[in-house]
Amino acid sequence: MIGPARRALLPAAAAAAAALLPLVARSNYLLHILVMTQIYVVLALSLNLILGYAGLLSLAPPAFFGIGAYTSALLALRLGWPFWPALAAAAAAGLLFAAAVGVPSLRLSRHSFVIVTLSFTLLAQLAATNWTDLTRGPMGLPGIPPPALRVPAIGPVRIAGKAGWYELMLAVVVAALLAFAALVRSRLGRAILAVREDEVLARALGIATDRVKLLAFALSGLLGGVAGSCYAHYISFIDPSLFDFYYMENLLIMVVLGGAGTLWGVVAGAAIFNVVPELLRIHPELRAFLYGIALLAAVSVAPGGLAGWVRARRAARAPRPEPA
Amino acid sequence: MLAQHIVNGLVQGALYALVAVGLTLVYGILEVINFAHGELYMLGAFALYLLFAWAHLPYGPALLLTVLALAGVGHLLARATMVPHLRRPFESTVLATLAASIILQNGARVAFTATPRQANPPLEDVVVRLGDVVVTGQRLLALGAALLAFAALHLFIRRTRAGKAMRAAAQSKDACAMVGIDVGRVAARAVALGGGLCGLAGAVVAPLYDIFPGIGTMAVFKSFAVVIMGGLGNVPGAMAAAALLGVGESLAGGYVSTTAKDAFGFTLMILVLLVRPQGLFGRRVRV
Repeated sequence: MIGPARRALLPAAAAAAAALLPLVARSNYLLHILVMTQIYVVLALSLNLILGYAGLLSLAPPAFFGIGAYTSALLALRLGWPFWPALAAAAAAGLLFAAAVGVPSLRLSRHSFVIVTLSFTLLAQLAATNWTDLTRGPMGLPGIPPPALRVPAIGPVRIAGKAGWYELMLAVVVAALLAFAALVRSRLGRAILAVREDEVLARALGIATDRVKLLAFALSGLLGGVAGSCYAHYISFIDPSLFDFYYMENLLIMVVLGGAGTLWGVVAGAAIFNVVPELLRIHPELRAFLYGIALLAAVSVAPGGLAGWVRARRAARAPRPEPA
Repeated sequence: MLAQHIVNGLVQGALYALVAVGLTLVYGILEVINFAHGELYMLGAFALYLLFAWAHLPYGPALLLTVLALAGVGHLLARATMVPHLRRPFESTVLATLAASIILQNGARVAFTATPRQANPPLEDVVVRLGDVVVTGQRLLALGAALLAFAALHLFIRRTRAGKAMRAAAQSKDACAMVGIDVGRVAARAVALGGGLCGLAGAVVAPLYDIFPGIGTMAVFKSFAVVIMGGLGNVPGAMAAAALLGVGESLAGGYVSTTAKDAFGFTLMILVLLVRPQGLFGRRVRV
């Protein structure tokens, strides 16, 4: 048996090791890949919550990502908001839009929910492309300022370099992971799992399933908004291509191959599918082609993804308990 | 002008209907959404391009071969992505067909590159004038072929044993298993039928526009809207909704703006879902 203190030891050690990584990894290129991985981890958590835990397939994560990015960028550019309030506003925008989409669409069949979330992403892209007074359309929004943080005893620090971004995003990722872990272990988290396992039974046990599903979807929108805001301030330029279905495909591959419904599996999936393609450096179309084959194989042969496979191996190896 | 917009809209509606009917047929039988359905349309367009513009076959045989080839592709697609997931949550079929869509679309990009191509079918040069309305022969062919295909589909579903098996599977898969109907085979046939209709769309409608590997995505997204509006699984409903969407888009594009044209379908679909979640025509009229 592993005690709770020892359970926390490994993640804490991993976070500490991750924080020291820029001392070793000095190349800006490598750090850029790592920062993109961190942003994808937050976005993958957003899909994981709704698909892996609530068991509902949402094709809207790119919409909340884009809405968060545009909210944060417009507040920073037009009204001069600092980073943290803009990030909070992006999170709130993701939450509110998800709730607004969720209220009507979660009442429908699970099939209709998939189509409505897809249509919402397409409509969001149409709005970003054509509402040129607000978004400048396909020209995009350049020059989004990097965050200026106020650190006690040092004063204002401008996060500009890749190493600074890496540490900032590490803090965001750790906060998101801790919040996520706390959520799925909470009463609400268990209710979300109950809805996934058997919605009728959950309702019979007194769980307000509609409200639980709506909360899960709204929180997944919040995570998408956070990821979008970080992306906008990191890359400093956004345009309507943020809403492309292409991102949804990447995201599904990370979550499904990593192991939907687990925490570390999805983090591993995001890391693997950001780092490996950079190392392989093949034609992007050929890469997508191979991704598709990997996704089809995973869905057909190993629906639990990497994490499910590891769990099955562990269960097979563990000594069977003696019959009492 | 109004009549011209309506005629143009009906041709566009024929495309949506040819793609959407296969989609809704498969939904009616299996209750799964085939995300790779648009790629069947894309492959149909490329098959016609290769047979007609590259191999220089006459247009008629090229069209027939395209329809047959896509029926075959549809059958394989069902065997690879849908039949293995019959007893699993529907999300796994969505993911499997999505994976197939990624594979087919990017495979086409690798094989044919993203360059837009034109098939230039022979009837495109024939111009027919009906009063103020100007239509090319190819557009009339698209409309006629779609109507003929739907008449044939109706007879097939109503009169043949295979069609009756499809209706039976739509009603109860368990009862099918009891009387010895192989639901997997019925499903594969339905997707093959949908593939044939997509092949027809690729052969008669796609040559009106540029042909490139991305054309399936928009066609299938619009078809989702059509299928929802017509009522999931309702074949005549999908035809009516497709005509409505085609004409509505054409009018919105002609009188409002091109943005309104693209937003029309999705906005209408969300409105329909809010007011009538079972679709405009409900699910009572099944396959």
